[in-house]
Order: sequence, then C-alpha cells, then structure tokens
Amino acid sequence: MAKEYLVVLFPRARRVKINGQFMGMTNRKLELEGGRYEVALGQPFNFTPETVEIDLRNTSSLTPMTVEFMEGSK
Amino acid sequence: MKRYVIAAAVVAVVLAVAFAGCSHYTVNERNPDFDAESGYRFDALDAGPDNSDSLFICLMFSGGGTRAAALSYGIMEALRDTVIRVDGRERRLLDEVDCISSVSGGSFTAAYYGLFRDRLFEDFREQFLERDIQGRLARRLFNPVNLFRLASPYFSRIDLAAELYDRDIFDGAGFDDLESGGRPFVILNATNLGADRRFEFTQEYFDAMGSRLDSYQVARAVAASSAFPFLLTPVSLENYPVADGYREPWWYKNALEPESWITQRYNAAKNLSVYLDKENSHVHLMDGGLSDNIGARAVLDAFDRGFIRTRINRGEIKRLVLIVVNARTGGGDTLSLSEKPPGLITVAAKTATVAMDNYSYDSVAGLREALYERVQAQKDEQACLDLLEKQCPGSVTPVPFAAEVDPYVIEINFEAAGQIPGEDSRYYLDLPTSFKLNEEQVEKLVSVGPKLLKASPRYRCLFKVLEAEAEGLPRPEECPVGAGIYP
Repeated sequence: MAKEYLVVLFPRARRVKINGQFMGMTNRKLELEGGRYEVALGQPFNFTPETVEIDLRNTSSLTPMTVEFMEGSK
Repeated sequence: MKRYVIAAAVVAVVLAVAFAGCSHYTVNERNPDFDAESGYRFDALDAGPDNSDSLFICLMFSGGGTRAAALSYGIMEALRDTVIRVDGRERRLLDEVDCISSVSGGSFTAAYYGLFRDRLFEDFREQFLERDIQGRLARRLFNPVNLFRLASPYFSRIDLAAELYDRDIFDGAGFDDLESGGRPFVILNATNLGADRRFEFTQEYFDAMGSRLDSYQVARAVAASSAFPFLLTPVSLENYPVADGYREPWWYKNALEPESWITQRYNAAKNLSVYLDKENSHVHLMDGGLSDNIGARAVLDAFDRGFIRTRINRGEIKRLVLIVVNARTGGGDTLSLSEKPPGLITVAAKTATVAMDNYSYDSVAGLREALYERVQAQKDEQACLDLLEKQCPGSVTPVPFAAEVDPYVIEINFEAAGQIPGEDSRYYLDLPTSFKLNEEQVEKLVSVGPKLLKASPRYRCLFKVLEAEAEGLPRPEECPVGAGIYP
C-alpha cells in the first residue's frame, strides 16, 4: 500500500541491508512500507556507523529520507 | 443362528472401534533446524533457463470449483501458445511465469502445473476437469470402511477428499516435488478459521509453525484451499515450537508497534504472530475463498514486502505483469424485481457471497492502485528532471530509482465475454460452482480463456510493447507506461 522513500548515501556502490535483508544499492532510491527499520551496508565492513535506526515516514518520491554512511573502520 | 448374529455384531463393533481408533489426519512434520535458504520459498527456487527477472509475471487463479480450474487452464494454454522475444531469445510467455497464487478450484490447476508442467496440457482435462469429482467424493463417503474411519474425531470428510486428490490427481506428490521443479512459485491459499485470516502453504508460514513443508502432501494443501464450508471439513495442522535458530522475516522486526496498527505491515505481522503464539497449538484451515477468493493478497504482500519488493528495489524487474483470472459468476439481480423480501436460504447465501465478491473487487483494485502509485512516482521524477533541465541546466538531480518499472494488471473475467463475437457472457455468469461440469461446459470455458486474454486492452498493450522492444522500435505511443493498469 502507501510507500515511503529512502536513499542510503555512501561514496561507493554498495548493497544496502534493511533489517538484515539485502534490498537494493546505495545512492539509489528505495521504496518501502513506512515504519522503523535498521539500515546497514553489505561487506566489506569499512563503513561507519555500523547501523542506523530509522523511522521511515512523511517522505515523497522527490523528498526521500536520506541516511549517510562514511568510509572508515569501526 | 442367533450366536452367529451376535458374533457378527461383535466383530463389526470391534472393527468400527479399530478403524475409528486408527484413523487420524496426516500430521505435518516438525522442523528441528531452521534454514532460511532452503524449503519452499521463492528465493530458494531455481528460476530456470528460460526465465528472466526483467519480465516478471505472476498469475492469480480465483476460486469457483471446476469452472475456475477450467478458465485458468485455458489461460495457461494461451500463455503456452504465445511466443515472445526477451533479451534476444524466443520463449513461451508461460516460461516467464514466476509465481501463481491460487484459491480453491484454481488451486488444482496451479498445483498441477507446478508439479507436472506441460503434462498439464496432456492429461489435466481427463484427470480433473472432465471428471465427476463430486461423485467420486460421495462414493468414498458412503464406502462402509470409510464410514467407520469417519467415526474418529480426528478423521473427517476433508481427509477422504485429500486421499482422493493425492491418489487420483497429484500422484502422491509433496512440496519437495514442487520445490525441485523451480519457478513458478505456487502459493496455495487457505483460511485459518481460528484466526479468521489468510494462510498460505509456504515455508515462511511453516517456519513460524516450527514445521517442514517439504514433506507435506500437495493434495492436502489443495484440499484445504478448496474445503468449501459445510460440504467439507477443515484440514488441521500442528503448530510446533519454532526450530532452533529461527529468524522472523526481515519486515517483521518493529512491525507490531501499537502506533502502526493501521498499516498493512502491522497486519502482515499480526498474521504471522498467530503461529508464533504457541498457545495456538493447532491450525484449522478451510477454503481460501473465505479470506481472499482471488489470490491477490499473497501477490500484494510480495509486492509490498516480499520477493517482488526486493527485486524492484534491486532494479531487477523492468516489466511486472499480474494476470488475475477471476471466474466469478453473477446471476442477474432478481431480488430487486420482487416485492416479497428474500427468504432465509437466499439471505444465508448472500451473506456468504456479497462480502466475498466485494473483497475480491477491492483486492484487485488494491493491486492496481499499488502499482499505479509506482508509475506516478516515476512520472513525478521524470517531470522534475525535465523541469530542472529546462530551468536550471546542470543542477543537482534527484536520486533515481534502481530501474523504471512498467506494470500491468490484466483481469480476465466473464463479463468481458459479451464483447467477443459469438460469445454470451450470460452463459458463463450462470455456470454453477461445483466439481462436476459437463464436457461442453468445460470445452467452452477452456476455449473462452485465450479469447478473453487476447481481448484485454492491457494484454494487447503488453504484447505490443514486447514486440516493439524485440524489434528495437520505440515504445508504441498508445501504450505509455501506466497504460497496463488504466487506459
């Protein structure tokens, strides 16, 4: 039903994990149901933070929620 | 003489007690170890050499007894006979089918194709469509041995039906056989009477029940899916503690927060939580039509948070085609012609069917709206890009989706038969719901399916777009993205 939009920013193309499930790539818009999720990236583990908790709501296709990961070790 | 009669009576009673005592429904097997990568789940199935995810097709087969099974069979014939070119290779549209969600009568066609593939076109008519299944069930019911078995509280009419389907139609096949065949993923839908909710025979549901689906008979799942209330009885399953290492599906975490109660995700989590609550030690299933007579809800769930959603977000699906085969009938409104209020039986029948028909309509409308929402998001994005290009060339552009999706929702129903030369929709709309139709009725149902599919404007658009793409031509103007849903 109603969808929300999320963009996970990272300097490289990397797989995005939502609640542990691989779900698309960084720097691409993802379409998900609203609610709370845990966002992380796929290997290698050279990013921070380890995970980001989000409450995905009140977005639109043109104004998605953005979550940013940086390169670097934990 | 009197002694013989007494002896015979004693033997009969002993036999009755013995048969009744031994008779028990088939119990689903407990699963000791959880494995998220195996079992009957979409991601564990082999796609096959002729199936590309870029063209992703799901079929939905409604309930409606042999009428529904025959109409869906006709659609399968049409898909078999339609050759397309995808990624430079010729293939049958049928080989591109990725999932089939079915209810009741439609479950016979879906399960048979899932198990036996093209054998469907060789013997399904003889094995099921043209058989008097009702008569066979009745004969089994009145067999003296079975009358004794039915005395057991753990064995009932549905178990006799499942035995018949298993022996005469599905050759004793289990879900491991469905799994080894790869795609399409066949979702057989039933209704959980205790929870008043839809139930599907997939490993995801069985994981929550701590059970293995691979060793369960397909015939029993089809029997549950088509267990028409009153005529048949529920199929029962054990709800075991979850297996070691069990993990809920990814979307389940945080989905049950009270403030989310109005969302579909919350509802899906509630659906699964029924089986995670081990106070519910048993699950009693009846006709899938009681909770969704179209089979659309399973596909909508896959689109919202399942195997379709993950593939859309990964940019793997370019064209999403949903074909709803709806064998709904509908006699004319005769009640409104009478001054006299309808009687008890009419009211009882209407109570069962009115809600079901309206829910089915809403399910298909929900599919259309969900897919069109994506089309609108894509249009918004393109409009924004065009505006930026015109007003602020070189400025930062919005982050794109992984891929544009071109969706189609193609509904096949008998009302459209009136627009086909030589066909009368009234004939089909007046057909009964039963497991016994005559040869002429079956023949007409099978042959009208392909005609209805080819007459659908949404299907014609799909075909034109696929042809143009194969020829390297531009997309036909009359079929822009979105025309596969609304004209």
